[in-house]
Amino acid sequence: MSKVFMPAQPDELWGILDENPEAVVYAGGTDLLVRLRSRFTKPDCLVCLERLDDLKGVKADDDDIFIGALTTHREMLNDPIIQKDLHILTHALKQLGSPPIRNMGTLGGNIVTASPAGDTLAPLYILNAQLEIGSRNSTRRAPIESFILGPGKVDLAHGEILSRVVVRKVPKFEVHHYEKVGKRNALACSVVSMATLMNVSSNNLISNIRLAWGSVGPTVLRFGDIEHFLVGKPLTVEGLSEAINMIQELVKPIDDIRATACYRREVAGRLLLRLLKYSV
Amino acid sequence: MKSTQINIGSTLCRPDALLKVSGTAKFAVDYYGQDYIWAGVKRASIPHGTLKNVDCSKALKVPGVLTVLTHKDIHGTNRQGVVKKDQPVLVDDKIRHCGDAVALVLAETKSALAEGLVAVRTDTKELQPVKDVMSALKPGSPLVHENNAKGNILLAGEIAVGKSLAALKECDVVVEARFETQRQEHAYLETENGWARLDDKGRIEIVCSTQTPFRDRIEVAEALGMDPENIRIIVPNVGGAFGGKDGITVQSLLALAAQHSNGRPVKMWWDREESFLASAKRHPCMMAYRLGAKLDGTLHFLDVDIILDTGPYDHLGGVVLALAMEHSGGPYRIPNGLIRGRCVYTNNPVGGAFRGFGVTQVTSAIERAMDLLAEKMGMDRLELRLKNALKAGDRNFVGKTLTTSTGIIECLETLSRHKLWKQKSSWKCGVPPFKRRGIGISATMHASGYGPVVPDYANAKLELTTRGSFRIYCGVVDMGQGNTTANIQIVGSLLNQPIEKMEVVLPDTDKTLPSGSASASRCTYTFGNALISGAKIMQERLCQKAADLMMIKDSNEFSMIPGAIRHLPTNREIRLETIARIMDSSEKTVTAYFRAPVATDSVTDDKNLRLHGIPHNLFSYSANLAYVEVDEITGKVAVADYLTVSDCGNVMNPQIYEQQIQGGVCQGLGLALYEDFETLDGRIITKDFSTYLAPTSMDIPDIQSVALGIHEPTGPFGAKGIGEISTNGPLPTIANAIFDATGYMFDKSPITPEAILDALNINLSG
Repeated sequence: MSKVFMPAQPDELWGILDENPEAVVYAGGTDLLVRLRSRFTKPDCLVCLERLDDLKGVKADDDDIFIGALTTHREMLNDPIIQKDLHILTHALKQLGSPPIRNMGTLGGNIVTASPAGDTLAPLYILNAQLEIGSRNSTRRAPIESFILGPGKVDLAHGEILSRVVVRKVPKFEVHHYEKVGKRNALACSVVSMATLMNVSSNNLISNIRLAWGSVGPTVLRFGDIEHFLVGKPLTVEGLSEAINMIQELVKPIDDIRATACYRREVAGRLLLRLLKYSV
Repeated sequence: MKSTQINIGSTLCRPDALLKVSGTAKFAVDYYGQDYIWAGVKRASIPHGTLKNVDCSKALKVPGVLTVLTHKDIHGTNRQGVVKKDQPVLVDDKIRHCGDAVALVLAETKSALAEGLVAVRTDTKELQPVKDVMSALKPGSPLVHENNAKGNILLAGEIAVGKSLAALKECDVVVEARFETQRQEHAYLETENGWARLDDKGRIEIVCSTQTPFRDRIEVAEALGMDPENIRIIVPNVGGAFGGKDGITVQSLLALAAQHSNGRPVKMWWDREESFLASAKRHPCMMAYRLGAKLDGTLHFLDVDIILDTGPYDHLGGVVLALAMEHSGGPYRIPNGLIRGRCVYTNNPVGGAFRGFGVTQVTSAIERAMDLLAEKMGMDRLELRLKNALKAGDRNFVGKTLTTSTGIIECLETLSRHKLWKQKSSWKCGVPPFKRRGIGISATMHASGYGPVVPDYANAKLELTTRGSFRIYCGVVDMGQGNTTANIQIVGSLLNQPIEKMEVVLPDTDKTLPSGSASASRCTYTFGNALISGAKIMQERLCQKAADLMMIKDSNEFSMIPGAIRHLPTNREIRLETIARIMDSSEKTVTAYFRAPVATDSVTDDKNLRLHGIPHNLFSYSANLAYVEVDEITGKVAVADYLTVSDCGNVMNPQIYEQQIQGGVCQGLGLALYEDFETLDGRIITKDFSTYLAPTSMDIPDIQSVALGIHEPTGPFGAKGIGEISTNGPLPTIANAIFDATGYMFDKSPITPEAILDALNINLSG
């Protein structure tokens, strides 16, 4: 039987973490509890963050949007600030897991689990999200792409907690596009996903674009070269075709039970064609 | 105002529905009892090997572990099975699949049980696994059962039809194709579980989730060397089965545990992973088809070769093979051909009963072959089907003359008039960018009952209670399909009593009467017919009693009305509870027997094939249609609409009828597009629901069901079996729709996005 701590104040949390160097921390538990079920030996000590109210909710000032790490996916979907400015995130959240998972799972949890298939991650990468990491005596900031190191690996020391996610409001993008390819339409781990922020000029040229792919590498992948390459290109099959080949060369998918690397590579490129629906 | 009157043909909401959604209905998992203990199974975890020794010493030292039992503790045959008893309760010689049970641990708590199971050590010598049917059939293959006379073949059969292979050269057009269907898991909500107790008279009571209480009792008794009279099986509400509980799961293990628990109740409850590992699955099937026709589209010849992977045990593999062979030609007149079938042992998971029961596999083959033929002949696929569809009096492919209602032509004609068929071209024209649209159809038939040899019977029992209500003793399990509601409708409508006057006793070998399995689309047909007789006897008896009491000569002047019996000429009434009080308890109980009519056609001399069920006598039919949209970018298939037009006889309860269609279609769509219980060298890859993907509500289209309601003269109120047929349509219908959309006929299921993208190989950006 594991001990479970449920601190309600940060000071309480820091104390628990100090006293229990092996403690395993979780928020909604939608990833951790599933993994623990299949393990014969359970960790001695679990720390559930769900009572730390300071880490919940969405706020904004003139420049930034702040999302508490313990905000659930459902709360984000319901939030007017996110609905107004972060469509890309809501598109992804709608396809994350299932209603019960969205009710329990949190944004912080999705980030710290660091699955290359995590549905919120590709949007956060192209939103240039900054993460605030708190500990007893300090707070630091890190861009999401340097915080996530690999599958299940993040730059988080014992005694540190991912406390919130910060997203700049500018620049504005007209197109917020997210497509998840899973083996079914709910409760599916993505096989490939692509998140896009884009502006298209009145003469159908891509004027600004950010792209990120999930499930085709150890982390979410974003390629500056492709984004630069696409700026100024017409939003047509011809205009995208070379970029599709570039994507297919750059992604680093693996074979697993869900799909072959070959399929993932093929589809990662082809998903770009879906952007044609935004042509003017 | 809601009427509580019960009618046949109108929807009666299942009386158990509210109890189930509110959590008050009792399932086997809800049984605990005073001072109960846990029992759990040590599984082999290797696909093939010799079991040299089971070392229980460490497990016995685990605090809370009470005892560890092995085959040495079994004093019966230690063999279970329906036709061929080849499956051990606990392995005594060889391990034949990863889910084989090698030891049984009894413990005070669940956690002690888990620790005890890990501590049981098995000393095994691994043998080369027989990993698939092709290697099993190769000369020199390792044998799954060394003493089986036919090597790795459990059952093989051959039926020549008409001029057999000689008719091939008489065909103007021939299509040839091979098809392969996958292993499918039932994935019922309620995993296998039960509860057992030995009483001080040496009798064991088992409460469990099963489709077959009466057969279980005999199997458990034989395997453990007990008198069947000393075993009582009770089946409360069941949380799904689909064939997966048509056969022993926990029963013998629980009885064995109860023999060694000093009278304490024993509980066993497989978790999802154990259920996946140990339970039977839909047989993977390989099918080679050659279908030939005359120039005008008249079918002339079919050559079929079917190979089923039954895993290491018969379970019901032989019977599944026979039903597959019988249905291999679909609902068509095909005068000549050859049917060959083999059911093959391997070290894969056990193949067993699964809604559709072999028909699902062969229907997917004949229906895809029909589309290939139509394409090759340039003929309309619906026209080709209509031209060859069976009529009453025709012989089906296996040679059985159709003597019961045969509505496949009406099904197809109704489909042809449906708006989804009529609007198909305009729907296809509206295709968005990077999509392809296609429409598929299929025609299916499905037998009900056990075939010509094994008696398909039921014994209904009905009692008038002292409260004046009627208690129906249901001999056939309702695992969610709704036959208990049908039973209530039968009695309620015949005796003219409202729902408040109805009670049911769920299957219990001490209380209800032997009535066969809840399987083979037979429940309402066979038990319903028995119950009709029972209700009629009850009515006559009660009217006679009323006549006697009123000293009126002619009991025909009496009629039953809600709560009473009325003498119509005088309007005098007598309450049912009044009658009940003056009746002796044996008088208040009625029993009635029904045995389903069987085919007398001699379609094969092979006694073994007859024993395994060829041919049947009664068939349901359906025509199906699907709209699909294939995505060129990802290869994903979206099913936009699905229609089933069915002839399953008169409709007793429209809602339950439709639920059966919807559920079966969902499982069929799972088979077509999603589900694949994968193994590698006998080891399971898809161990849980995170990798074994069944469709969700987000993947299921609107499903329309049109019931023709053709009266079947032998059926209860004209009904036929509805339980399975809807599972057979989706795979061929979807495959044919994808064929229509892409020009590519997929021969392997599930049809994955990856396979579609591979086949299309479109250069979208070039």
